[in-house]
Amino acid sequence: MFRIDRRLIKNFDWITISVVILISVIGILTIYSATRPISDEGHSGFYLKQIAWLILGLVALLFIISFDYIWLSRFSLTFYIIGIILLLAVFISGKIGTGAQRWLSLGFISFQPSEFFKLIYIIMLAQYLSAVKSQIDAISLLRAFFLITFLPFILLVKQPDLGTALIVLTIFASLILAKGLYKKVAILFVIIALISLPFLGNIFWGGLKDYQKSRIAAFIEPEMDPTGIGYHLNQSKITVGSGKFFGKGYLQGTQGPFRFLPEKHTDFIFAVFAEEWGFFGSSFLLILYLILILRGLDTAKKARDDFGRLLALGITFMFLIYSFINIGMTLGLMPVVGIPLPFISYGGTAILSNLIAIGILINIRIRRLELFH
Amino acid sequence: MNRKRAIIFNTAIICSFFLVFLRLADLMIFNHERLSEKAEQQHIKIEDMQVRRGMIFDRRGREFALNLELESLYCDPENFLYNKEDITKLASIISKEPEVIISKIPGEGRFAWVERKLEPVTAERVRKLDIKGLGFVPEAKRFYPKEELASHIIGAVGIDNQALEGIELKYDKYLKTAGGKVFFGRDAAGRILSSGVDIESKGNNLVLTIDEVLQRIVEKELDKAILKWRAKAATAIMMDPFTGEILALANRPAYNPNRTGVASNPEKRNRAITDCYEPGSTFKTIIGVAALEEKIVNPDTLFDVSEGSIKVGGKVIRDVHKNEIITFMEVIQKSSNVGSIMIGLKLGKDRIYKYSKLLGIGEKTGIDLPGEVSGWIHPPERWSGTSIGAISIGQEVAMTPLQMLRVYSVVANGGFLVRPHIVSEIVSPDGNVIMSFEGKDINRVISEKTAVRFKEILKRVVGEGGTGRSASVNGNEVAGKTGTAQIVNPETRRYSKEKYVSSFVGFIPADNPKLAIIVVIYEPKGQIYGGVVAAPVFREIANQALSYLNVPMEDDFLQKPAILVSR
Repeated sequence: MFRIDRRLIKNFDWITISVVILISVIGILTIYSATRPISDEGHSGFYLKQIAWLILGLVALLFIISFDYIWLSRFSLTFYIIGIILLLAVFISGKIGTGAQRWLSLGFISFQPSEFFKLIYIIMLAQYLSAVKSQIDAISLLRAFFLITFLPFILLVKQPDLGTALIVLTIFASLILAKGLYKKVAILFVIIALISLPFLGNIFWGGLKDYQKSRIAAFIEPEMDPTGIGYHLNQSKITVGSGKFFGKGYLQGTQGPFRFLPEKHTDFIFAVFAEEWGFFGSSFLLILYLILILRGLDTAKKARDDFGRLLALGITFMFLIYSFINIGMTLGLMPVVGIPLPFISYGGTAILSNLIAIGILINIRIRRLELFH
Repeated sequence: MNRKRAIIFNTAIICSFFLVFLRLADLMIFNHERLSEKAEQQHIKIEDMQVRRGMIFDRRGREFALNLELESLYCDPENFLYNKEDITKLASIISKEPEVIISKIPGEGRFAWVERKLEPVTAERVRKLDIKGLGFVPEAKRFYPKEELASHIIGAVGIDNQALEGIELKYDKYLKTAGGKVFFGRDAAGRILSSGVDIESKGNNLVLTIDEVLQRIVEKELDKAILKWRAKAATAIMMDPFTGEILALANRPAYNPNRTGVASNPEKRNRAITDCYEPGSTFKTIIGVAALEEKIVNPDTLFDVSEGSIKVGGKVIRDVHKNEIITFMEVIQKSSNVGSIMIGLKLGKDRIYKYSKLLGIGEKTGIDLPGEVSGWIHPPERWSGTSIGAISIGQEVAMTPLQMLRVYSVVANGGFLVRPHIVSEIVSPDGNVIMSFEGKDINRVISEKTAVRFKEILKRVVGEGGTGRSASVNGNEVAGKTGTAQIVNPETRRYSKEKYVSSFVGFIPADNPKLAIIVVIYEPKGQIYGGVVAAPVFREIANQALSYLNVPMEDDFLQKPAILVSR
């Protein structure tokens, strides 16, 4: 099955894979530190599970690279339908995660369909938009929104998985812009967006649970309630601020393992990293993300067809939004939205789907010179 | 994607990353001090940690309070899984009912004590059960190896090592600090985490002025007296009359500080300083000293007490034994009420009050034990017509046994009012003396001449024809005074016919005093007089104490070299 072509190895995107593996190793080290025991109890196995998922993800990545990405376009509708069914299934047999139904249990394993769905959505949207020959006209725009985007958006809001829902919406907007619209359509797009904003906002706000509403309130006035929801934000700022230039040193951080920082190995893991590695360590990590994203944009630019270009852009935007929102939230730049930091936060489904996405990116880059397929 | 759009995209991305860099710098560099201070406040606590309390020693280094290293079992409810078998096993090891254990584990939260202060052996057996969610924290348990001995001095602590009584309470601050701040890491649930050197740090040690052997002598004799006279309570204090160092202090009833939970309030009361009594005849020393100092009398001044009674403000006060014309010296020696009142009338209200205050009546002595009361003597303007008579014979005033002992120490040491104290040194864990209490606050209150003249009178009390004959000690001369006072019945507000306080207070050897001792027996049965009830106790204590201290006998012709009380 793995028909590895010599040419593929020659054109392999060593930069992207190195950066991703480097970030993942940082992630495992940080998970180890964040969950390390503080008394004589045993170490929780989070970091071991993460290593297992990383290895599984790398295998999946190689698998994705082994065949031409055009197959993704051919199966995009099938994937999309399966994805929607899985999202629906979450309602039927959803198991309670952190106050939200995000998990689907297959008996031996639990996973989050929404983690895969965002990828499926990007493939579907890229496939649809690449089929549009010129710039986007009004009909195509409405179809792209109502046929592809609206249903999963509602389903995600209802879950509620606020983070992924927002990302779906953002990816939609960015891919539309990347594809290019007629000027009149663009104006129409903006007008419709403005008109539907209260409507969408209402669905959005209505779909929010109380804890999500208070998170947004806490973002606006974090010092108001330091023991309640503002606690997350204050704790994360305190943890980051403890780092200074060079940090406290690996395994020397206190706020995470001492349980002052909530979600220390998932959503707020960047704070744990920042406390131990300081401003320089954090800057280094940011630069790694920047390299990953700029490389993704470069891949999009060099893609051999419009599907590949839009797919690479969608994936790159996804990583951009994820890392930017997560770090922004940790630093108090945006409201607390429960989304993980790619390759760093603990979470099996996330690392698997992220590595598959990287596989697709590399796939597009490797085959940029192939004219026939 | 055209070129223009690509440039816009790239610029937007780099700008947003730049924004994150700025924020990072803002938090990690410009606001670092403020934020890391907050972090420290959260996980470093100073005041809540328990250092090992310092030890308490007597003047010769014998241990009176020390720590046993034990382990306390806690539960982390979030990690704890209920399992009936585990609970049953645990219950049998720590000898508790399973229901009691279950009731201690809350449904949520991160921390709850299951059982405090388990013996290491027991803790090891619990550890072998390997129940998830249970853990141990080392804790020290205060232990008093001498048990009841000196319990009113040492005091006690509770389960959390919080000071409850005695020296433990008075010197709590020193006992639980190790000279300088000690930091402890804590998690969000308040658990102490860093269990390195810090948690083992110890508080300052105390060295007391008391001597275990003297304390034992005093307590043994009090026990005998309680038994012999079926008395309700008793107090005895032994002090160095020159320095105010307490050498022994004991009360009956007493308690075992290792089991404070079962001790009753009367048992815990340190009567030597917290209870007032009307002193009776022992107060005549204050009247006598005042009269000598004011030169109203000299030891040979004659008083006609042949009537056997005297009328003051319409009230008749009688002598126990009728006397003829006697000298001032004999008034004290024979404890004549009539004679004392005559002296009191000569002195007048104001001078009686002045000398009472000078000798520390109605004022706390300032001893370093908690709960001391001041007692009282009313100012002259509040005295009734009969007061001058009553006060002259030691009624209508309230004093603690320690205050009375201090008055007699003034006579013993040649006119100085000392400050009684019980801690001689505070020593840091590494052996440096942090504070020392020798010879503080000593003021002259009467002339040496008066003190010496009155000492001669007090010697007569114990000599031939005195009321304190049974206090006399073979080999060394005693100076002292007996006292017998009625107790006011709180219901009738009249003096009780059955309840008395018998006392003897004095010092020995009279001409070179080493020890000032007071013995107070509350409500003895059968006999009431201080000379009969308290004086023999004084004699027994003094005899044994002097031989322990190797004080040479004054009439010993061999004249062995004196070995003094070692400091």
